[in-house]
Amino acid sequence: MTNMLKHTGTLLAALVLLIPIHNFSSAQTPRESDVAVVVNADTPVTNLSLAEVRKVFLGERQYWNAKLPVVLLIRAPVARERDVVLRVIYQMTEAQFKQYWVAKIFRAEVTAPPKIVYSNDLQYELVSAIPGAIAFVDSRNVRPGVKMVRVDGMLPGDKSYPLR
Amino acid sequence: MRRPLFFIAVFFFAAGFVRGQDAPGADEKEQIKALLARVELLEKQVAELKATQVASAALAGPPSAATVKPAPPPEPPARQAAPMPEHGGQIPQEAMQQLETHYPSLQIRGFADADFSATDQKGTTSGFDLGQFDLHLASALSQKISYFGEITVNAHPQDYTIEMERSFIRYDYNDFFKISFGRFHTPIGYWNTAYHHGAWLETTISRPFMVMVGGTFTPLHFVGALAEGNIPSGGLGLGYNVGIGNGRGANIARPGDAGDINNNRAWVAKVFARPGKSYGLELGASIYRDKITLTTSDFREWISNAYVVWTKGAPEFLAEFNNVNHRNIATNAVANSDAMYAQFGYRLPWFERTLKPYYRFEYTHMPLSEQVFTYQPQVESIVGLRYDISSFAAFKSEYRYSASHPAQGGNPAMPAVSGVFFQTAFTF
Repeated sequence: MTNMLKHTGTLLAALVLLIPIHNFSSAQTPRESDVAVVVNADTPVTNLSLAEVRKVFLGERQYWNAKLPVVLLIRAPVARERDVVLRVIYQMTEAQFKQYWVAKIFRAEVTAPPKIVYSNDLQYELVSAIPGAIAFVDSRNVRPGVKMVRVDGMLPGDKSYPLR
Repeated sequence: MRRPLFFIAVFFFAAGFVRGQDAPGADEKEQIKALLARVELLEKQVAELKATQVASAALAGPPSAATVKPAPPPEPPARQAAPMPEHGGQIPQEAMQQLETHYPSLQIRGFADADFSATDQKGTTSGFDLGQFDLHLASALSQKISYFGEITVNAHPQDYTIEMERSFIRYDYNDFFKISFGRFHTPIGYWNTAYHHGAWLETTISRPFMVMVGGTFTPLHFVGALAEGNIPSGGLGLGYNVGIGNGRGANIARPGDAGDINNNRAWVAKVFARPGKSYGLELGASIYRDKITLTTSDFREWISNAYVVWTKGAPEFLAEFNNVNHRNIATNAVANSDAMYAQFGYRLPWFERTLKPYYRFEYTHMPLSEQVFTYQPQVESIVGLRYDISSFAAFKSEYRYSASHPAQGGNPAMPAVSGVFFQTAFTF
């Protein structure tokens, strides 16, 4: 009887211990960070609505002003930033995204699709160097030399920030 | 009946086989993900190393040739697939050059299709045919000047014809004003500018009657000048096209490529809205005015068009209405012809969203008093399935039924026709 009580007690103790461990491990699962919209420091924009960001990335707004064209930079497939852009901004699959740009060029609305960049470093260098460039980056790694744009008045980390 | 079933079976067998070869495996995606993660990690390590190196150099004072030896240059890879960042965050020149825009920057894209058709129309035979071979050229000549060209090669019973479909230069001032000169797709309605050539672009195999290849109901091409741009309108997303040009030629299916047939210029105006809050929705209206000179008489032509489209695949909805008003200048006799279509498609959520069933209904009304068009009142229904075998190729199968307008007692010259159609369309 005593042994049975001991086993039951041990089992209960293990369960009691496991519950917080389980909860703790769930709580510690790193939440994926927000995706920040960054532009070249000289770009005359600080706040865009999500609809405006979409308009820019759909190629419907091609100039920041008469002298400064928009230069779209997008990470290569399977980068998380690209997944977020396709899901939230374009609302397209990878195939639909490619088809969208083929059709856009066919309609003579643009001459080329967004430039594809293969690493964060390259992306930062390009945003810093190309006037009018705009890109999406991991908000944890925003570096000096670029300007972060508010989306719907919010910055990454804000509760209702849309790009995550 | 057995023959179409045989082709359906072949179609799906072929589609499944090719898809199996084309679909990237999950393992491959994981590998790419892992490689990208590794690139990120290496970049971080490089940045840290550089920071350490700078700190050490600052502590140690100016380096001497004896203590600091430059690292030997790495062996160049046999073929670099993608531009990679250089150590320390500097972009290799090669990568930078790849990403720079060079002028002129010519991009060529092609579209082609192969088709099979079998109908119960008397006097026709079933069989394969080569669709349209289309080459599209786009070239930025400078930051604000671009050229667009399009050439098609079309199969005919005796030979092939080569056609200059579009050729124009465009000057961008800003988003609100862009002006082009040359030969365009006339901005009347939606389909004519959104899909036009390149069967791969459109969901269906066939075009609606109002924008049929070689058709006359809508002037498909326009030679002249065209201004276009956005209209400052906030979330409404308004845009416009305004053009002036030669209008229809002696053959009313063609524009006056080599010069206008009369001294009257045609003009076209279109306004459309792409509301920011209803992404995927587009509404538009256009008008077109011309003077048509035929051997019999001269006619004033007014075309008015309205459309609404929802272009996100699930669902996809396109509806357009065209009214063409012709007035005989000599007799003042007026005729109004109408054409409309409504097309509904839905990209199914399964099989990586590659399947899209669709249905289209078309209605064309022409009065007997119509003197410019060939009398072709009809109703048509099509039902079909599009299967995107890859991002750039599709198989389509379609059943089509068309008949002359029943309200007008039918047209003996146009008996009811039903048929099956198959197409593989792609871009390259």
